[in-house]
Amino acid sequence: MANISLTVNGETRSGEAESRTLLVHFLRDTLRLTGTHVGCVVGRCGACTVMWNGAPVKSCMVFAVQTDGDEVVTVEGLARDKRLHPLQEAFWKKDAVECGYCTPGMLMSAYGLLSNGKTPTEAEIKKAISGNLCRCTGYGNIVAAIREAAGNFK
Amino acid sequence: MDFPINPPIGERVRRKETQRFVTGTGRFVDDLLPPGTLHASFTRSPCAHARINSVDASAALTMPGVRAVFTGKDIADRIKPMRVGGSPLLRPLKLYPLAVDKIRYFGEPVAVVVADNRYLAEDAVEAIAIDYEPLPAVIDPEAALEPGATPVHDVLGGNKVYKFHFATDGIDEIFAKADVVVKERIRSHRITACPIEPRAYLAHYSPDEDSLTMWSATANPHSLRGRIADVINFPEGKIRVIAPDVGGSFGVKIQTYQEELLLPFISRELGRPIKWCETRVEHMRNGRHGRDQIHYIEMALKKDGTILGLRDRIIADMGSTYTVDHSIMASALYMTGVYQIQNYAVDATGVSTNKTTHGSLRGIGKADAAYVIERLVDIAARKLNIDPIDIRMKNFIPAESFPYRNVTGALYDSGQYHLCLKRTAEIAGYEKLKQEQAELRKKGICRGIGVALVMEPTSSSRIHATGGYASCRMRIDPSGAATVFSSMGEQGQGHETTIAQIVASQTGIPFEKITVIHGDTLPTPYGFGTGSSRSSVVLMPSAWVAAKKMREKLVGIGARLIGVPPERLEIGDGKVFAKEKRDQAIAIAEIIRTAYGAIHLLPENMEPGLETMGTFVNPNIDYAPDDKGRMNTFSSYPYAGVIAVVDVDVETGFINIVRYCTVHDCGNMINPQIVDTQQQGSIMQGIGAALYEELRYDEEGRLLSSTFMDYRLPCVEEVPELALEHIVTPNPFTPLGAKGAGETGMLGPPPALCNAVEDALAPLGVKIRETPLTPDRILDLIEKAKSSHG
Repeated sequence: MANISLTVNGETRSGEAESRTLLVHFLRDTLRLTGTHVGCVVGRCGACTVMWNGAPVKSCMVFAVQTDGDEVVTVEGLARDKRLHPLQEAFWKKDAVECGYCTPGMLMSAYGLLSNGKTPTEAEIKKAISGNLCRCTGYGNIVAAIREAAGNFK
Repeated sequence: MDFPINPPIGERVRRKETQRFVTGTGRFVDDLLPPGTLHASFTRSPCAHARINSVDASAALTMPGVRAVFTGKDIADRIKPMRVGGSPLLRPLKLYPLAVDKIRYFGEPVAVVVADNRYLAEDAVEAIAIDYEPLPAVIDPEAALEPGATPVHDVLGGNKVYKFHFATDGIDEIFAKADVVVKERIRSHRITACPIEPRAYLAHYSPDEDSLTMWSATANPHSLRGRIADVINFPEGKIRVIAPDVGGSFGVKIQTYQEELLLPFISRELGRPIKWCETRVEHMRNGRHGRDQIHYIEMALKKDGTILGLRDRIIADMGSTYTVDHSIMASALYMTGVYQIQNYAVDATGVSTNKTTHGSLRGIGKADAAYVIERLVDIAARKLNIDPIDIRMKNFIPAESFPYRNVTGALYDSGQYHLCLKRTAEIAGYEKLKQEQAELRKKGICRGIGVALVMEPTSSSRIHATGGYASCRMRIDPSGAATVFSSMGEQGQGHETTIAQIVASQTGIPFEKITVIHGDTLPTPYGFGTGSSRSSVVLMPSAWVAAKKMREKLVGIGARLIGVPPERLEIGDGKVFAKEKRDQAIAIAEIIRTAYGAIHLLPENMEPGLETMGTFVNPNIDYAPDDKGRMNTFSSYPYAGVIAVVDVDVETGFINIVRYCTVHDCGNMINPQIVDTQQQGSIMQGIGAALYEELRYDEEGRLLSSTFMDYRLPCVEEVPELALEHIVTPNPFTPLGAKGAGETGMLGPPPALCNAVEDALAPLGVKIRETPLTPDRILDLIEKAKSSHG
């Protein structure tokens, strides 16, 4: 058991973690940030995607102790001052959500894509969320939402 | 019937529920953690068929954090067996949530560990020693029916667990006299729903209150409550089932599972909250599976393509501990599809095998029927050298024949099949596609065009699985906001939005001020679960009934207050006003204040307050067969025309969907945006079923596809160019004119893509009778066709 401390959504958070504790379980069970979901625990469904040191990662594929001292952003960190992030707005407007289970992971993968400030191509959008599974929407509206959030799309 | 689709009904209103999902504040079962919660983990069988000689949990019990271990033997005399069967045609079985003396499928739960956290529980599961005595696994459903086959259930003696027969008079003569008989063996392969949230349960027995709260990722909370009461022998009135946010179901969460019945028992034993969240591997092995039917089907036709009769023999693999017969029954009753076929015979056999339990899955049974008939019609067209659209047009049930009584007694509510396929051909540019295909063939490109028109019976209801009604209770609070309590939960369908649209339309209460409560047995009226696309067919009409009663009450009070007869009043702009003289008006706020506070001003005999209850019973259901065995177990019949265009790479076996065009008719749409999104998802699930997904077992009954690595769901890269349109033929049996909307999309891809791929490979003589159409299967078929023609 180790005590780890990391910056989550801009705040310093710490807690006990076994060496085998997955980051997703640390976020959910220890820090009680339950927006990050578990769908397969083997890195295929993407429901647990978070930003780790500026890049999207499946948090079931990372041990919590690996993130000691690092920076993590979860879906709870997207909205600022109760104002939705443009991606959240776009997901809502474009009806990119049904059951909502895959949504946080989709948002974080998209956030990773857009955080470099460039306008992505359709192929780049698809590549960015190709590791995130959605069973409800058929993806079309999700792609449209990311395109909308990215601003004018060539 | 009236179809009052006043705004905001029929509008693309943004979904209320989406806000909490984009902010990560949705609440799923796994997000809940009451103080003192213990965690369960299951030991599961590593073989498909075996006797259990012994289970030794002594080592596990000494491990850190372990609070208890239960085995089948520990519970068998302390709880009642699960209800298995339900249909009089299914042979009843006595089964417990944990295997007692025999294992019947790979992954069956044998023992459960309860520990302080999920890691410790999983550690202890590894320490449970079980001595199995393996038995031959029964995997092939046809071999399972052979004399001398090992029985899956010793008490039944054999593996035939279900039998259904139906035949019209003179069917053999029709086949004897036909110009052409097309005969095929077609199999629908085994798949599963795979919602992204696996199953999750949290049972909390409170010793102080002697009551049980069960949070479950279920699509059927009220039924679950009764089943828990039965199995753990605890009063139903002391049980509250809550389905919080549920991450998709697609049928798989409407049924009751072993773990769901066991957790309440353990919580009661230990007096602590117990939580279990399924892993994906467990879900693949233990969640309900679907499809998996073999059809020996023949069609009698005239040379001109007129269908004279249909004869089918169905062998359905029900898995080990079958629970429902909806699949086989729906296939047998709806095999004639969208065609005028009044001569039909079917012999359906359900078989028990050592596979995971068969059950609900988006399009249950109806998908198998639509797939088989739409394949067979295509095969007949090819044999007779008739265009696949022409043969369908020749045999479709004409629009003027609706409501149409099919041969097995089903009453199709409405439809315009000719118009639908005509429009599909128009948006696909069918004639041009055929020209392009000919050009591409010259260049060696294997392009195929696949046609299908799939019909999806929705909103089923059977005796003791009564989905033929639903209820909503509503209240307008003194503040002027409204709350609606729905009998059905949601798993992504958007009920919070569509119910609010209906209520706003009827009562004048603003959409933003309407809250919908669902999935909790305490405040909501009783009702069957969300499945069979029944929300729009029975639940939404029940909201309409509740809202209509509320409207009548508001108008009645308004009439009394302003002295104008109710029939001359209208609701709008927050007021009740006279239609002819709009300044004769009273604010709804004033009416609400009167209803609660100034009750001496209410019309005579009117109860104070503003609460109404709406129940809708769909009239288009027969609960018992007639003297010829005919019955109607589904109440609405949406459908979709499909034209799929594919290119098949004969070097790699890879299929590229160039374009997927579909025209869908689900009647009036309460929220077309929600319908469109659901259609897209449903189509992608169908594409997965046709091309990628298959639950495969080895000969010893081990499931080979237990993860998303080997059971491949479509991802964004596989989304084809999609053209989606609707035509609207209102359902005459419901006050909103809506039909079910959730499943039709999934039915289209399997037949349309198989027809397209067979068309693409027709010059090579490839015939497709097995799916999914994986590259290795395509290459194999090409190879076989070459060698048989070579």
